[in-house]
Amino acid sequence: MTEEVRTEFHQLMDEVRADLVQMGGMVAEGISAVSAALLAGDIGGADQIITADDELDLLSLEAEEKCVQLLALQQPVAVDLRTILTDLRMISEIERSGDLVTNIAKAVARLHGAELEPRVRGLIDRMREQAVKLTARAMDAYAERDAGLASVLNDMDDVLDDLHNEYIVSVFASHELGKISIQHAVQLAVVGRFYERIGDHAVNVAERVEFLVTGELPEHLGANRARARREQDEK
Amino acid sequence: MNPEKALMTDESDAPEMLVPSEPHPQTRIDVSAVAAMAGQRAATETVFECGDINVYYGDFLALRDVTLDIAAHEVTAFIGPSGCGKTTFLRCFNRMNDLIEGARVDGAIHYHGVNLYQDEVDPVEVRRRVGMVFQKPNPFPKSIYDNIAYGPRLAGVKRSALDDVVEGSLTRAALWDEVKDRLKTSAYGLSGGQQQRLCIARAIAVQPDVVLMDEPCSALDPIATGRIEELIAELKTEYTIIIVTHNMQQAARISDMTAFFSVQANERGHRTGELVEYAPTSLIFTNPDDPRTEAYITGRVG
Repeated sequence: MTEEVRTEFHQLMDEVRADLVQMGGMVAEGISAVSAALLAGDIGGADQIITADDELDLLSLEAEEKCVQLLALQQPVAVDLRTILTDLRMISEIERSGDLVTNIAKAVARLHGAELEPRVRGLIDRMREQAVKLTARAMDAYAERDAGLASVLNDMDDVLDDLHNEYIVSVFASHELGKISIQHAVQLAVVGRFYERIGDHAVNVAERVEFLVTGELPEHLGANRARARREQDEK
Repeated sequence: MNPEKALMTDESDAPEMLVPSEPHPQTRIDVSAVAAMAGQRAATETVFECGDINVYYGDFLALRDVTLDIAAHEVTAFIGPSGCGKTTFLRCFNRMNDLIEGARVDGAIHYHGVNLYQDEVDPVEVRRRVGMVFQKPNPFPKSIYDNIAYGPRLAGVKRSALDDVVEGSLTRAALWDEVKDRLKTSAYGLSGGQQQRLCIARAIAVQPDVVLMDEPCSALDPIATGRIEELIAELKTEYTIIIVTHNMQQAARISDMTAFFSVQANERGHRTGELVEYAPTSLIFTNPDDPRTEAYITGRVG
């Protein structure tokens, strides 16, 4: 039988967990809302999304403050330490995804008057779907401490990357056919990039969840190459 | 002098005792393997090999089946809840349990290959090589100088050499500058933290190989604790240190290896301690292997 002897400490950690799950939910909703505004050319709706990001920034700040308090006052170790380190990293990832949603919202006004072809619209909707799915799955993996679920995020992100490539090709094909201006084509290409980046942040969250559960830091090809070079130099 | 030979009371038995002992067949935790796994500790010399240690007080089993190795020039910390047997185990390393009525130690502790619990071994010599510092500072009711000189005098160090031994020991215990002008005054005039450093100086004055510390900072304030911790880090270059502590942060700060002990009650309510996990400290406090270790160090345990 396990008796809890650090109740307040662990309650505060649970609060941060709930804050992060809420923030992740806000980002997922934001992706859907901003995509609808983009496809509808709804500048008013996009402005609301930009304003709503302030709330996410505030929640990020509050969650980070709680983490600082936990580190300073509770001397966390083992799974508690890994949880708070994960939380701190995740706050940045989620907050950054929120900024990307805002960036898409800002593009809505810049795209005013652009006639989007059905194929481009369809690909935006599919990128929306995949970005929401990635964000939601990453947050589920975090909330449930599910390293297995976290481990599939990378493969799921490949789907978004493929959609992104396909989308860029269609945007510039659309420009070549004279359907959209070069300014609008560039703006649309940048928007595609924002969706793609949201997927990357979800993958980063998933890597952190794997660390939280297993204690293993994510493998990085670049870091491995640098380590090999460093070992070579030492010889 | 040869360390194996020196422990023997009867020199004629020495050759037989010098036969290198087989590594214990049931060694569960190999320090160097753990080190290789963690990738951060160089393989070091082993000072103690403990095989299936069981300690009884009368017919009550206090500690069950402990097997572990202690590496030279490292700080090894024993942590765990009250009654888990960590102090009992610490006392096995210099046969202090011999002094407790009814205490019995089963199993073997090999010290540089020599079983400390074989009949030919002189416990007094063991205690000279394996010194001890206790929870409460316990200076003798003598002057600062005589506290340090006491052991060396008994060991036959000449009067002319004593001054150097006293200065050297107090310097290594980071106390010399504070006491050099009042060596002839009573040790009781020192603060608690100074008294504890005096006890450490006294322990190292007889040139031990290992220093055992049983909660050496529990009676000290944070500054005095910090000084002792710094001292421990310096002392490990010369000595092997084993420390029992209730303060997990202290174990995390100062030790290289951590052993976590737990306690289990049988149906009659007798509580027996056991070793749960033994690993590099950096691993224990970031990613312990055993759920019981994790529960204890994160405070999710009764």
